[in-house]
Amino acid sequence: MDETKRAFKWFWAWNDEREERWLTEMAEQGWHLQAPGTFGFYTFERGAPRNVTYRLDFKTAGKDMEAYLQLFADAGWEHVGAMGGWQYFRKEAPAGEAPEIYTDQASKIYKYQRLLLFLTIFLPIYFVMLINLGNAPYAFTKVLSLFFALFMLFYAYAMVRILRRMLELKK
Amino acid sequence: MSRDERQVSPWGGLDKYLPLSETTYYIMLMLVTPLHGYGVMQQVEEMTDGAVTIGPGTLYGAFSTLEKEGLIEMVRQEDRRKFYALTTKGEAVLRRQIERVALMMRSAGQILESERE
Repeated sequence: MDETKRAFKWFWAWNDEREERWLTEMAEQGWHLQAPGTFGFYTFERGAPRNVTYRLDFKTAGKDMEAYLQLFADAGWEHVGAMGGWQYFRKEAPAGEAPEIYTDQASKIYKYQRLLLFLTIFLPIYFVMLINLGNAPYAFTKVLSLFFALFMLFYAYAMVRILRRMLELKK
Repeated sequence: MSRDERQVSPWGGLDKYLPLSETTYYIMLMLVTPLHGYGVMQQVEEMTDGAVTIGPGTLYGAFSTLEKEGLIEMVRQEDRRKFYALTTKGEAVLRRQIERVALMMRSAGQILESERE
């Protein structure tokens, strides 16, 4: 049985818990994540239905990656793959049980804080790009800069949503 | 460490790390002797009969923060597992926390005892 299928799903960074639930539901139907792809294209492998909890962590590649993955592996979490800094983990659990990788509020908030910091780093770069595009004297770049401005609006919206998620957790 | 020693210790600003969260407290307590991340998770769960569990995400984050603050340090690495232990400063912070908790317990004892009378 090596049937596979691809599925597309919009991934919203501020709603990673919905992503986790979706992957868990897929596993209940016997579709097991093979690899998270770019822009929300996922590959699933057909197998027996299982109770699997999926958890997403945010960690960009760094020199400490090996120790990080070893810790998760020791704790029984299988690393399925990574997508843009998001690390996909899964663990089999008895029905009704949902193991967590974050066990207190403070560390859950810290995860979103790291994500927000990561997004903030790119902000000035995008901003400079937008100004340069807008200043170029071609009609083509004017259109491009409009699209880029829309992208930046969305980017800002995403950051606000992540911030709101953090404030919700602080309550 | 006696009371007098602590007063002249160079770690005057220890109180800024207090109070430690339950998770941080248990992690630091386990690092009195060098241990790797998963070892900490196991021992905490065992010692508290499962009342306190620490997930790998929480543990990894706590190790990074504590290391940045200079409260713990890596002492060795075996394969891909990093062993950490308390620094002198970390030990002073832990002891200070324990004193504060002991004080809280004494206070609770006094209030609840007098109520019963």
